[in-house]
Amino acid sequence: MKFAVPFLVPALLFASAAAAQAPMPVIAVPPLTTPNDKPAGNGATTLAIAWQASQLIAQDLRSTGDMMAVAPQQKDYYSYPEVTAPTFSRWRSKGAKGLLTGFVQARSDGRLTVGCYVYDVDKGRELGRIGFAVDADDWRRAAHKCSGLAYEKLTGSPGTFDTRIAYVAQTGFGDAQVKRIAVMDSDGENHDYVTEAGPMVLTPRLSPRGNRVAYVSYLGGTPHVRVKDLDSGNERPLLPNSLAMSFAPRFSPDGSRVVFSMMNAGNVDIYVVNADGGLPHRLTSAPGVDTEASFSPDGSKILFESDRSGSQQLYVMDASGANQRRVSFGGGWYAAPDWSPDGEKIAFTRRGADGLRIGVMNIDGSGQNVLTTGPRDEGPSWAASSRELIFTRTDPTGRSGIYRVALNGGAARKVTVPQDGSDPDWSGTRD
Amino acid sequence: MRQVAAFFVTVALAASASAQLPGLRRRAPVPPAPVLVGIDALRADFLAHTGADTIFFGSDGVVLGPPAKATLTAQAQWLLQHPEVAVRIEGHADSNDTRDHALAVGARRAEEVRQFLVLMGVPAAQLSAVSMGKERPGLPRAQTILVR
Repeated sequence: MKFAVPFLVPALLFASAAAAQAPMPVIAVPPLTTPNDKPAGNGATTLAIAWQASQLIAQDLRSTGDMMAVAPQQKDYYSYPEVTAPTFSRWRSKGAKGLLTGFVQARSDGRLTVGCYVYDVDKGRELGRIGFAVDADDWRRAAHKCSGLAYEKLTGSPGTFDTRIAYVAQTGFGDAQVKRIAVMDSDGENHDYVTEAGPMVLTPRLSPRGNRVAYVSYLGGTPHVRVKDLDSGNERPLLPNSLAMSFAPRFSPDGSRVVFSMMNAGNVDIYVVNADGGLPHRLTSAPGVDTEASFSPDGSKILFESDRSGSQQLYVMDASGANQRRVSFGGGWYAAPDWSPDGEKIAFTRRGADGLRIGVMNIDGSGQNVLTTGPRDEGPSWAASSRELIFTRTDPTGRSGIYRVALNGGAARKVTVPQDGSDPDWSGTRD
Repeated sequence: MRQVAAFFVTVALAASASAQLPGLRRRAPVPPAPVLVGIDALRADFLAHTGADTIFFGSDGVVLGPPAKATLTAQAQWLLQHPEVAVRIEGHADSNDTRDHALAVGARRAEEVRQFLVLMGVPAAQLSAVSMGKERPGLPRAQTILVR
């Protein structure tokens, strides 16, 4: 049976709108408590930090679009012993399915202990708990971990709260344009520039734990992949002493290897190299452009794009380069594949007469679903939850911004960054 | 008044007479050879002799058409006469392309031009090729830029 493309697209849009109507779970987030209110650095007290942490958790959960979070209210305070023995009936009557309680406690060494508990309100049962000792000014990360616990227990998917986003921050146009790699927490906090204003930089890709970033730099004239350690600030070319153009880097799921594309005698092929150095190993050799390689979550396979058939299409191969086969067979061109963290789906950029749009398909190429309206949407990167994508949208005047879109429908939302942004990449959950 | 006018006529006659005397004609100074030192002057001369510094490709195309080859042949002739000038060839893709594919296609366009110029006898050491991907919006093209 054949469908003309104009009929297919509205059908897909309708399907995603229907999926969005599934009821969202409600989770109550009453304010975290403290066993005794003590100073906790920077003029704050443990009770004040507990209040801010509760608000951050509620905001995290709401931002996913996958659940309703009942925001913390003063009247919902509970005592320290009630953290592990909450009054379920109170939340049941408000329609909450889930409940998050917790505490912030000052330690004798000046640090804080943050603990969180997630409950099933209907069954009156604990679903999980998590606790950390953190520096006083690092409480946000502990709160993000609490959000992640609640999200995972209610949806079955890992959360995206303690993750990082890398992107290209840009100012100016044409030859006066300045591009820098920037990295921030997924909620926009701790924004930092990783490269100086200087040679053009493109396509940052974070390591799965978010502690390293690989990107393309024009330093020295030829675009090539560089790797920077975000903790130490150390930075080096991926391939020392190479004069060839290299680009499109991505880390393996364990962070030990980097796949990338390199140009050799007019042919662009995919190579893999140890992230700490060594000789690159060539994986493809077909004439044409093989690029945008992306590992499967178990590291055994690599997804990539190739124009070997005459148009850009998606292919999959073993991590050794063997068994290359095409997976995309739609009416258009497909580019920039990214393998979802749960291993189930491929996100891609679709190139058609209507421009560039973001979509997803199953690993075998079936079940294609175009998620965005275009006409200049590209470069999707998965959230750790496998339920959301981040991508670049360029407007008709050439200015670009970073957007995120949920798989279960709804319009794409703009991510706030200080300047124009492009090429976002979303890390996995940090250690 | 009349005497002053007569004086001027006399002087004018004397001047024209001396200019026509054989052997006394002054030689005009030899015009200097056009030494093009500034890069802007070089670029203007390059454009004047080659017609264009940019050649265009079809969407997703990397093959040189006959007009492109004619332009590049003229560029090669100029470059052979100016062996001291280094050239950077920038390959560009249009904004309908995706970012990394654009980078690859831009590189292939720049490389295609570089190889054609080498084929026409331009020393490879004079030429470098770089892809700008789709970072400088415009038509699919390759631009020959004089850098020194």
